[in-house]
Amino acid sequence: MSATKAPSAALTSFVVRSRFLPVYLALLLLIVVAAIWAPATLSGVALRAMAPYGAVLGIAALGQMLVIMTGGIDLSVPGTMSLAAVIMVGVGDGSNENIAIAVATAVVAAAAIGLVNGVLIGGFKLNALIVTLAVGLVVTGIVNRYASTFPVQSAVPTGLSDWTSNRVLGVSPVFWIGVALTLVLIVGLRYSALGRRFQAVGANPVASNVVGVRVNLNQIFVYVVAAVIYAIAGVALAGLLRNPGVSVGTRYLLGPIAAVVIGGAALTGGLASPMSTFVAALFLAGLSQMLRTMGLPTALQFVVFGLVIIGGMLVSGDRIIRVVEQVLRERRRGGSQTPPAADPEVTSP
Amino acid sequence: MQRIKITAVIAALLLLAAACGGGDDTTAPAGPTGSASESGGTGALSEFGESIDADPALIDKALGPVEPSDEASWNIILAAVARADQDVDQATIDKAMECWSNRECDTGTGGEIVMGYADGGGDTVNVWRAVSHMEAILQALTYDEIGTIVSTEADFNPDPAVHANDIRFLISRGVDFIVGYPDMGVAIADAIKEADDAGIPYVSFSAGWVGLPDQEGALVPGEDYLTVVGEDLCALGDSFAEVLNEGVGTGEAALLGGTPGNALSLGWQRCTVDALSDSVELVNPPKNDNTTTGDTSWYPPIIPDVYSGLLTTYPDIKGWAYEYADGMYIGLQTYEDLGIPVKNLTVALRTDEQNLFCDWAERNEPTYNIYYSAGGNFQSRVGVTAAMMSIAGAEIPPEIIVPHVMRQVTPDDCDPNRVNEAVSGTSLVPDPVLQAMFAA
Repeated sequence: MSATKAPSAALTSFVVRSRFLPVYLALLLLIVVAAIWAPATLSGVALRAMAPYGAVLGIAALGQMLVIMTGGIDLSVPGTMSLAAVIMVGVGDGSNENIAIAVATAVVAAAAIGLVNGVLIGGFKLNALIVTLAVGLVVTGIVNRYASTFPVQSAVPTGLSDWTSNRVLGVSPVFWIGVALTLVLIVGLRYSALGRRFQAVGANPVASNVVGVRVNLNQIFVYVVAAVIYAIAGVALAGLLRNPGVSVGTRYLLGPIAAVVIGGAALTGGLASPMSTFVAALFLAGLSQMLRTMGLPTALQFVVFGLVIIGGMLVSGDRIIRVVEQVLRERRRGGSQTPPAADPEVTSP
Repeated sequence: MQRIKITAVIAALLLLAAACGGGDDTTAPAGPTGSASESGGTGALSEFGESIDADPALIDKALGPVEPSDEASWNIILAAVARADQDVDQATIDKAMECWSNRECDTGTGGEIVMGYADGGGDTVNVWRAVSHMEAILQALTYDEIGTIVSTEADFNPDPAVHANDIRFLISRGVDFIVGYPDMGVAIADAIKEADDAGIPYVSFSAGWVGLPDQEGALVPGEDYLTVVGEDLCALGDSFAEVLNEGVGTGEAALLGGTPGNALSLGWQRCTVDALSDSVELVNPPKNDNTTTGDTSWYPPIIPDVYSGLLTTYPDIKGWAYEYADGMYIGLQTYEDLGIPVKNLTVALRTDEQNLFCDWAERNEPTYNIYYSAGGNFQSRVGVTAAMMSIAGAEIPPEIIVPHVMRQVTPDDCDPNRVNEAVSGTSLVPDPVLQAMFAA
């Protein structure tokens, strides 16, 4: 009995893991291509410079990943990140003494945005895409209004920008925050009851509801957590840019979604891997860096970047394994269509 | 003495000819092509309600020690600066703030003219835009004829339709003229043409050509829209090249620009490329004459990527040319990220935000030198004055050329008491107004 289960478990494990494999292959391919055409991209200093920005995208992508796991999507990321960034300027007021209160304000404000998203989506069952887009617009309006009350291109407190410029093991601490968050999510999703419950809701909300999991509450919670993660990304980005302006988050509307999908998750919800998502974000940041290093015209950069994302989506998720599965099935079916006389089981009375 | 008398008589005859409407109305002489102070007070534009008696100190503040441009352009610039000599009281500050903060305001003069201001950026996304907007408002408040100011801002929206719709909104609102910066260039040409067809003069400033003359789909200033106010872009590009040639000597240099293909960047980059000496190797030449290079979109999150992309391959870049000083300030962060010392560096810029200059002063690095030409916030004032003169019947040249001069940054260029470090030192917005705009 166990002899028949073991290969089945291994196959299941392989099938599950295979959906996250393409991003690592893509990263490998990127490294090979960069080594040939833009070797400078792979230099230590270049990687160190790219890492914090890749991590910011990765952090935002991790928040988006949690939402996508529930079958939702969050388009309020740019607004939330921008709000966090301008709060660091406005509340920070150029004083290092205000950094803590500014970070706390940014996190609380983001949580409030997430709560609104969550209640409208989880509670009122409104469409996630429309709700988060609308909430994002409202937040953008608030950001613009708020930003008009202080010098908009002013710098964040030097303590924050100095901290992001520091080196921990040779890399900006922003990168390590991204790594730490990834590890927290890996452990949390896999080993905590809350995490497993959350994954169950993502995989099958109806079944989860039947077994007593409060799906609505779970959905509300995930939008709040995701928004707090966006705020962390916004604060980090503000520190990296020093004087971030009000629209720093604009660039993060689709990037995190692309990272999640290339990282192996399906937009319909279900399984996702924090590690693959973070790696996918680094892949996208590295790709962008390589295209710029290669000196491609801006128009061509957009084209190549878009094509790579499409390609990544095509091979991500369980598409490849499905193709393999289909081929195997057809082979098996082909085998079963051989003349009945050849099959002793069929010919036996 | 005899020569002076003859000169005076000729000058008087020329003034008389101009007043009678012969030739270009605005080409009435502003005195000899000498300094600004020499040309002040002639009253050449008095029939259009303007004085060219501009305070030389203000001209020097806005432009630096420039040589005047052609007379037609220069007179309008003088007229604009003359109006900028404002001793604002609290009521004016309050009104200016009301107009700056709201889409529409009543100036309180009872004037019938409605001014439209269409910005592709916006007050909350960019300090330079915010200050330029205020310059235009303050200028409008000097005209009793202007009773209403309507402003739109597209906040750098990447969708050209948003920018075009702003223009169309102003047309439908019934404005009498529009001053603006067309970030989308030829992509909003149709809307600008519609304004012109509706009899609404459109004036772009900051060299905001609606497509450069040889660009496909470009509008023709003087025909399709009233005029474009700004530097001679090719001369600006030459000036940048001159700075790099001298500062870099032998070595690598890079050019940066704004939104891909925008007229401002394209205009100066073309000429910089041509004027760089053989000993200066341009590491990112544009692919052709119609494309820009080093596109940053003037958007902070992209700027580090662009610097990083260039510096990882060319860590020994010794010169940069860019029209955005604050962008250079952001780019210096990449130097720190990459561990490249900010040394042996020459930078040519078009704007003069204080952030960079104060950072330069703090670094105190003798081999790091910055040269800049004025950012030109006040050009929006020139746009307002040109439009009002046009409404008054003056013939406006299709291009109002704002002279420029490259100045080397010195410690005096960092004013730590500036209300906002991101505000250009050359802005003509009085400090009390800046205080109201930017102080929390």
